[in-house]
Amino acid sequence: MRVISKEDFAQFVNSLIKDSSLNVMGVKAKGDKFAFGPLESASELRMDYDVTLLPPKKYFFPQRETLVTYNVGKSFSAKSPSEIKPMVLVGVHPYDIVALLHMDEIFSETKSDPYYFEKRKSSIIIGVNIQKMSKWCFAPYMGSATVEYGYDLMLTDLGNRYVINIGSEKGENLLDKYAKNVSDALARDTQLVGQKKREVMMMSQQKLDFPTELIPEMLTKFYTESSFWERHSEKCLACGSCVLVCPTCYCFDVKDNPDLSLEQGERVRIWDGCLLEDFAKVASGENFRATRPTRYRHRYFKKGKYLYDRFGFISCVGCGRCSSNCLPNIANPVNLFNDMYQESVSSGQVTTVSTPEIKIQTEGNIDYVPKLATIIRKQPMTAMETLFEIKLDDGSVLGHKPGQFVELSVFGIGEAPISISSPPSKKDTFELCVRKLGNVTTKMHSLKIGDKVGIRGPFGTGFDTEFLKGKDLLFVAGGLGLAPLRSFFNYVLDNRKDYGQVTLLYGCKEPKELLFADELLALAKRDDVEFKPTVDRCPEDEAWTGNTGVITTLIPQIKIDPEKTYAVICGPPIMYKFVIADLKKRNVSDDHIIMSLERRMKCGVGKCGHCQINQIYVCKDGPVFNYSKIKGVPEAL
Amino acid sequence: MKPKAAFFDFAGCEGDQLQIANLEEDLLALLSQVDVVSFREVMKEHSDNYDIAFVEGSCTRLQDEDRLRQIRKNAKIVVAIGSCAAIGGINSLKNYKDLDGVKKTVYGENARLFDSYAARAIDAVIPVDAYVYGCPIDREDFLQVVKSLLLGKKPDTPTYPVCVECKKNENVCAFERGQYCVGPVTRAGCNSCCVNEGTICWGCRGLVDNPNENSHKEVLIKYGQTVDDAINKFRLYFGWQEAKR
Amino acid sequence: MKNSNVEVNVHHVTRVEGHGNISVNIKDGIVEKCEWSIPEAPRFFEAMVVGRSWYELHHITSRICGICSIGHTLASLKATESALGVTISEQDLKLRKLALHGENMQSHVLHLGFLVLPDLMGVGSVIPLASTNPAEVKIVLKLHRIANEMSNLICGRTTHPQRLIPGGFSKIPSMNELTTLRKKLQDSIPNLQTVAGLFKSLESKLPNFKRETEFIALTDPNEYALYDGKLGSTDTASAPVKEYLSYTNEYIVPQSTAKWAKHARGSYMVGALARFNLNHDRLSPMAKKTAATFNLSPVCYNPFMNSIAQLVELVHSWEDSIRLINELEDKGLTTQSEYNKPEIKVKAGTGVGAVEVPRGILFHDYTYNANGVCTRANCVIPTNQNHANIQLDMNALVPQIADKPQKEIELTLEMLVRAYDPCISCSTHVTKIN
Repeated sequence: MRVISKEDFAQFVNSLIKDSSLNVMGVKAKGDKFAFGPLESASELRMDYDVTLLPPKKYFFPQRETLVTYNVGKSFSAKSPSEIKPMVLVGVHPYDIVALLHMDEIFSETKSDPYYFEKRKSSIIIGVNIQKMSKWCFAPYMGSATVEYGYDLMLTDLGNRYVINIGSEKGENLLDKYAKNVSDALARDTQLVGQKKREVMMMSQQKLDFPTELIPEMLTKFYTESSFWERHSEKCLACGSCVLVCPTCYCFDVKDNPDLSLEQGERVRIWDGCLLEDFAKVASGENFRATRPTRYRHRYFKKGKYLYDRFGFISCVGCGRCSSNCLPNIANPVNLFNDMYQESVSSGQVTTVSTPEIKIQTEGNIDYVPKLATIIRKQPMTAMETLFEIKLDDGSVLGHKPGQFVELSVFGIGEAPISISSPPSKKDTFELCVRKLGNVTTKMHSLKIGDKVGIRGPFGTGFDTEFLKGKDLLFVAGGLGLAPLRSFFNYVLDNRKDYGQVTLLYGCKEPKELLFADELLALAKRDDVEFKPTVDRCPEDEAWTGNTGVITTLIPQIKIDPEKTYAVICGPPIMYKFVIADLKKRNVSDDHIIMSLERRMKCGVGKCGHCQINQIYVCKDGPVFNYSKIKGVPEAL
Repeated sequence: MKPKAAFFDFAGCEGDQLQIANLEEDLLALLSQVDVVSFREVMKEHSDNYDIAFVEGSCTRLQDEDRLRQIRKNAKIVVAIGSCAAIGGINSLKNYKDLDGVKKTVYGENARLFDSYAARAIDAVIPVDAYVYGCPIDREDFLQVVKSLLLGKKPDTPTYPVCVECKKNENVCAFERGQYCVGPVTRAGCNSCCVNEGTICWGCRGLVDNPNENSHKEVLIKYGQTVDDAINKFRLYFGWQEAKR
Repeated sequence: MKNSNVEVNVHHVTRVEGHGNISVNIKDGIVEKCEWSIPEAPRFFEAMVVGRSWYELHHITSRICGICSIGHTLASLKATESALGVTISEQDLKLRKLALHGENMQSHVLHLGFLVLPDLMGVGSVIPLASTNPAEVKIVLKLHRIANEMSNLICGRTTHPQRLIPGGFSKIPSMNELTTLRKKLQDSIPNLQTVAGLFKSLESKLPNFKRETEFIALTDPNEYALYDGKLGSTDTASAPVKEYLSYTNEYIVPQSTAKWAKHARGSYMVGALARFNLNHDRLSPMAKKTAATFNLSPVCYNPFMNSIAQLVELVHSWEDSIRLINELEDKGLTTQSEYNKPEIKVKAGTGVGAVEVPRGILFHDYTYNANGVCTRANCVIPTNQNHANIQLDMNALVPQIADKPQKEIELTLEMLVRAYDPCISCSTHVTKIN
């Protein structure tokens, strides 16, 4: 430990400010509150603050950030790296340092976010121990009121001097270069620092009635207690304040912004929040979390259960910002969890759950920049759906597994997730069946052969073609669900002898909505495949000789051996429950049922939060799921 | 072929059209994408042959309805610009007064010469294809809507409240400063410009689609407003929207 | 060729704010009908503010006009502050004067460049000028942009300015921002001279018409009055602003949803020309020089010269803004919170606020009860005060041009209306009968 007088510390900060190669940010007053901002002089610093309006995460994961720039019909480019001036953050509280450590793991898991880390790696954190605690802060309960690492320097205020804990070589070098009169701390200072830290632990005006280890299991038990969530969320304004000020929140939306020439533009990511009404809404208008109680519940589960299962930490540092910003005062985790604990205790046992096994692997960076591709064939199939054949301009093979999806970029409009409809056995090109629904897909329909689009991916888990070899396959497709299933189905046909009995059940609303009609005709003629189509109804002016009725009416008509059969299902959300029920009546076991789910997906790599179903990211852990693994996931079906 | 645009105004202050005139260099860029065939405030020429009609101002009398229907007939796309046209705006404050009484007080015996009824958004009379909210409209928001229309996509107008933008801009909440704000139930898209200037959100962009009005009125009262004051606050810009619900 | 039968019907005059109609009928050389009428929809602002609180009125009345929002807001604030007995600081006074200058500059540039210039250059709008005279149009846009930036800096934005609140400002610029603005103003003075030169080259296009009338504006012995002053008239002695009703005398005419006004004669004129006629010797040095180049001197009775008076005022506001910023710098800026809200003690009272907006003198008059709730309001808009003068000017002008081709009569009458720079939707806010 070292020690420096307050005057010399001010000098130190001023020397940093004078160095134009550094961006020095510190805590300043803003109105009656505090905020991190660029420092023009050390005299602006307010190291005695209680909490800043926004956490320092805004410097590493800004409210708005350009990911990609584009030139219509010509190119997508990574945002040209602006010379990143290293940032020095002065006055970061321990809970915000802990939050940044959370963010580091979240942003590096599976694939690493280059934009976040280039700023994080070049920055220097000068922390300060808490002197004043906001009345909403409960950091001591969350283990983040003090911290032993994650900083380059950590200061403790001892009246006329700061004691400095060196946290890294970067911190040490900074002191050497810019600070004067830094001496070794005396024994009494070391003791005083310990004392100060103990005092911080006692400062909280909030009181959690139970140990935090109980939270994950309590939440699990309370998932279905609708009246609990309704009661707590009744006053919710869906204003998003609680999540926007949170140091551990990281959901974002991605939008394309053309300039006035309409010839070029940028793709930006902006902060988003799961409490906002349209967070989980897809182009068809379906909203997977349409009510206040479901959205409200999701935030607590994400912090207290889903991230806990994935990373082993409860993703809340107790800073209290959510509570202080919630006008109807319903966002305080302390109140909610205390309430939950009371109810748990009165209704029975309360147990802890064992720490999950965590494997955080990183394989490379997220690529936000789409590859250029060309439309080489366009085949309208129905009034709403058109099949596009696409070739990557750099000549590479997409290399996808059946069941995976790509993020399709249409210049100037945006990006949408579309499942790949062709089997990987078709190498040079791939096919996408696009339904005209929202901005991207509508514009896609107006494009012509030779027009350029952008492709990212392939993303997601696919069907396990290897494991399913030798098994009997029962494909159940509803409406547009045939599009992703086709990638697997046609692969099976290309490798027919590797698979057992193959059945395809396909249902649509009306005959004119049948997709891939000519392929289906050919299929009907094959004798190595059983194909049964059905329509909900047949209008008078259309001819139809097949089955009439919903898709479940086909299930009794087929012969299957439940031991050998694996069902592969894809269709509209409402279909799954009924099909699964009927399959189980035929003794198909849970782990023999495989399904592909849809959600709102933006980044494709499990970061932006939109596709999250309870603890699962559809884009990363799915979209193909084994029913036995997700039947316990309440939001899935 | 550049699409043709025309501007019309009804009962309003012409502040929204002024924002468009104030686009400066962006105006020239905009003019390279659309042909303005009618904009009474800045040009003499007028044509009834237009694709996009921008309408500012509320409908406040019967004769306005005929003009609106004619515009709807001529245009492929009708855009309501500004709160008066989009949600009724401040003009709807008068709807809470006794209109006949008001007219008599103001015009005396000549009251019958002046035709006036409850001020309303223009979509009370004709179907509207796009909205640019705000009093006045925000220039970036206007450009965003126009670019979207030119690209054939749905404009990216937020369904979430102003609080989202206010928090991103790191403002100190009005309620923390002893003031009263309707941001939590007001549609975002203005980048919380008024709070950024040190004041509050007055609600000029209208209510979000599914506001929790009761909750916010309770918040206002909890922080010290009277019930009447809370109701009055909602009436400033939400008068027409609330009456519709 | 003598046109003995002429019918001029201009429905919704273009290049003016708001809707106005010109209707002229000449039969056998005799003027049968000559009417300036206002069909604009009345909006009932004075009724709308009754029952609203003192901290809301300026926000509501700002919406009377999109172009002179700053003026309405300031007049409204002055009325409220007068009624509640609130005074503002020296610094805030200077900043409010800068705000008014910004509005004057923005409005005059818009009027001169976009609304009047096309007539002088024989085109329908500024849009073709962008191709034929790109350099001049760019300069007009540049000046307009600086004026807007100034309003944004001082007020938050030009239309419906947020920073102007009872008792002062919610937020003020930093000295750095003010000096940056000052440099922009200084650097742009050559552009002002170019614009003045352009209008000088076109001055012959302005009709040489003259009709004696009364001019009314704020007046002050020490400065060119825009923000503060007494009521001045070219016909009578000056009076305190609270006696405005004896000057304005509004009354209804059937062809107009806006009211008319008269004082010592059948009508009077307000606006830049009125201000010039009353306060010429308090103009800034550069402005005086500009007036001299156009041979503009008091008392000028040619309404078409109102546009030139606006050009003179543009120069004055430009120069005076630089002076005000110098003063603020010399004194040093007292900082305040980023979210300032002056403490106001509410009480019953009546107050009148008058400011000069680009189009003329504007009055707001409020009465509050002990709870600070407005019980009565009256607003007199400059354009209202000009309507009668426009009509009488038309009555005098039409016979003089009756033998010209119909298109020329139409254009001249439109130019007459445009010269007044009317703000018609303001004028139909509707006033109370007294």
